[in-house]
Amino acid sequence: MGFLTPLALLFASLALPILVLYMLKLRRRDVSVSSTLLWRRLLRDREANAPWQRLRRNWLLILQLLLLILLTLALARPFRSVPAVVSGSAVILLDASASMRAQDVAPNRFAVAQERVNELLARRRVGQRMTVILVGPQPVALGSSADDPSLVRRALREATPTQGAADWEAAFALAAGALTGIAEPEVVVVSDGGLPAGLPSLPGAVHFVPVGRGGENVAITALATRQGGVGPQAFVRVSNFGAQPVDVRVEFTVDGALFDARRLTVPAQGEGHLTLTELPPDLRALEARLAVEDALPLDDVAWAVHTPPASGRVLLVTSGNLFLERALRALPGREVVRLAPDQPLPTEPYDLYVYDGPVDHPLPAGNVWLIGPRETVEDGWRVEVGDVFSATTPTGFATDDPLLRYVDWEDVRVLRARAVAPPPAARILIEAAGGPLLLVAERPEGRLAVLTFDLHDSDLPLHVAFPILTANVVDWLMPSAPARLPTRVKPGEPVPIALDVQAAEDTWVVDPAGARHRVARTAGSPSFAATERLGLYHVENAAGERLASFAVNLFDAGESDIAPRETIEVGRVEVRPTSGDRTARQGLWPWFAGGALTVLALEWWVYHRGGV
Amino acid sequence: VIVDGTLLRKLETTAFRVRHARAGRTAGDRRSTKHGSSVEFADYRNYTRGDDLRRVDWNVYARLERPFVKLFDEEEDLAVHLLLDGSASMDWGAADEHKWTYALRLAAALGVVALIAGDRLSIAVLQDRSVRRRFGPLRGRGQVLRLFDWLGGREAAGTTDLNAALRAYALSGGRAGLVVLISDLFSPAGYVEGLTALAARGHELTLVHALSPDEVEPPLAGDLRLIDVETGDPQEVTIDGRMRALYRRRLLDWQEEARATCRRRDVLYVPLETSTPLERLLLRDLRRVGLLR
Repeated sequence: MGFLTPLALLFASLALPILVLYMLKLRRRDVSVSSTLLWRRLLRDREANAPWQRLRRNWLLILQLLLLILLTLALARPFRSVPAVVSGSAVILLDASASMRAQDVAPNRFAVAQERVNELLARRRVGQRMTVILVGPQPVALGSSADDPSLVRRALREATPTQGAADWEAAFALAAGALTGIAEPEVVVVSDGGLPAGLPSLPGAVHFVPVGRGGENVAITALATRQGGVGPQAFVRVSNFGAQPVDVRVEFTVDGALFDARRLTVPAQGEGHLTLTELPPDLRALEARLAVEDALPLDDVAWAVHTPPASGRVLLVTSGNLFLERALRALPGREVVRLAPDQPLPTEPYDLYVYDGPVDHPLPAGNVWLIGPRETVEDGWRVEVGDVFSATTPTGFATDDPLLRYVDWEDVRVLRARAVAPPPAARILIEAAGGPLLLVAERPEGRLAVLTFDLHDSDLPLHVAFPILTANVVDWLMPSAPARLPTRVKPGEPVPIALDVQAAEDTWVVDPAGARHRVARTAGSPSFAATERLGLYHVENAAGERLASFAVNLFDAGESDIAPRETIEVGRVEVRPTSGDRTARQGLWPWFAGGALTVLALEWWVYHRGGV
Repeated sequence: VIVDGTLLRKLETTAFRVRHARAGRTAGDRRSTKHGSSVEFADYRNYTRGDDLRRVDWNVYARLERPFVKLFDEEEDLAVHLLLDGSASMDWGAADEHKWTYALRLAAALGVVALIAGDRLSIAVLQDRSVRRRFGPLRGRGQVLRLFDWLGGREAAGTTDLNAALRAYALSGGRAGLVVLISDLFSPAGYVEGLTALAARGHELTLVHALSPDEVEPPLAGDLRLIDVETGDPQEVTIDGRMRALYRRRLLDWQEEARATCRRRDVLYVPLETSTPLERLLLRDLRRVGLLR
């Protein structure tokens, strides 16, 4: 213990006047009584019985001297050296990544880390500012002790670890922002050490408070499906981060029902692989689960959404058109099958039929793109084709239509085209003096697009506009929403919900907990960001029909490897755990002041008890 | 000294009660000083050698041929001694509760009782180590005014050694009889030996222990130096609630001690707080203890 202002101890000399005053006060008042006989006897008895009673009359003096001592000590600002991590104002970065859920320390790492932060907050000096940042996929500032310490404590108490990886770079940026303008700033990282390499340096000193002891952990680090020759196949990778080889059972659940369970031996610090074939053809969602007890249960389960491959098949009926075929084959995710005009249509359905030239048979049910039709197509629904016209300079161009986005028609020349009477409710996208050049319409059986000229009668295939137009038209004709959702989503990562249906009505996302989230329809492509939870998410329309699904998986070896790191690297400097040999001065004066108040109250009581 | 008329009238029917028949009285070995008082026959007893032949009842002897001695209950006047402790400590107390005033009024009332009953009354004020003032012995109703007059001139002052003064009175106090001592017993030298000396003289003793209310419940607090008005001795004491409680207990012990001392010497002990009305003391308390009837 030491004193910040030892000179204040001189106040102790006030004891002298107190003693003098006390002596003066003790000059007794003279009172006449009829006889002192009884008093004399009484005192003789008492003093014989209890010698310490003589002391009792001096209680007030003792209490006053004690009060003086306590006040003097409080004024001298005593302090105690306590082991401390920080001495100045600091930002505490509390790791809330998935690995902090590990139960290698009871109850789990995050709870221990919360305790550490609480200790830091409790030991802070008066005026020492501490800001706590919860580092998850999106770092959150829990508050600063300068505002209201109890609020920080409550926020800390209510904080929970996330299920994803921590965004340390964002957290560091937040910390750097909070530390600007503060003298001697310090940063405390309370973590199990799973920090990425190459983090930027921070202002001030960086301290590392490690959490966790390390333990056995087995994790699914990959799960994927693909369309095999016979049916869907699944591939799973299991990583063992422990020091002992493990024999795990992997359970596969298909659309909610247990499908298969396999045994797999995974070597220590190694990986094991499994390929599951003969999955049901209508597989939509696959769940793989490790039947194992380890320190981090979070990564023992993974999900995969299987996308049926049939969604992108295009049948091209042509006598030979290299430009068109190339443009179609260049589209991602489209499987193009070519057919000669004289061949019969295959019975299996295609998602898009492209007729380059004459149409010899009735239009199939489905999406159809007619290019340079020569005669009227009649199939309960009529595309009337008339004479050839050569006035092909565009007079109307639907610039705002998404189908013509980025399409530059400036230098395109068309030799001749055929007049096509637009079907009812058709949208004419490009119109020339002689008639429409490009129109689209909705049929009951599917969508229809008509390009009214033969590509060989135009230099369009030579222009950049052609592949763009092809892509736009095919995209419109084949709204293949499920293929657009990403297959790998990390927790906290936003998912673009670029579904075609969103044009018409609201879209909802049901998260693994069963909560429905409305997807905001923004001007750009809407996205869904509430993906903190691991599991399957379903995209639904307002009526509750399931449109698509996506899975959020941890798949992060850095989080699954729960062995605590000895050091962390910040700004190319290795930070070792902060040992307890650093000390801070904890002020003790409030205790002395509180004691003085107590003594004061006691003195008042003694005075009144003695006086009345 | 004021004893009001109503009380005086009530005292007319009151008289001192003698607890023990005295051997000396019934033996008749002293000549009666009271003329005209009857000598009443009491009893007979067998003649024994040495009896006065004049007391033999010859008529009975003639009939029975056995000598019997006639016994007479010789009615004799009673000697009443009122002793007042005249020390300075008796000069204490608020107006109505002043111990000396109270003692004088009590002496006047008892004196009236004695005079009316035709007893022989002596009053003495004890001061220093001896008897300073005496009244009487006198007898008869006619002395009442003189009594009041005498009492009116008495004052309490100085110190009194009760032991010495009582012993002195025992030596010079005249005929044995009833002795009523009114005192606060605040005598550093003690009083027990004096009482013993008086009792040895054959007196029948009554001790009225008078204390004023502020001696029973002292209205004192704080750090004090108590000055004894009688001796002038200082005593430093810090008085708080606890101390006062101790004082009360000590006082009760002291009174109990006095009562025990008196019982052993066949002395009537009457504790008295001067807030007690005089009439109640005389007509109830003193009758209850058996001093008056």
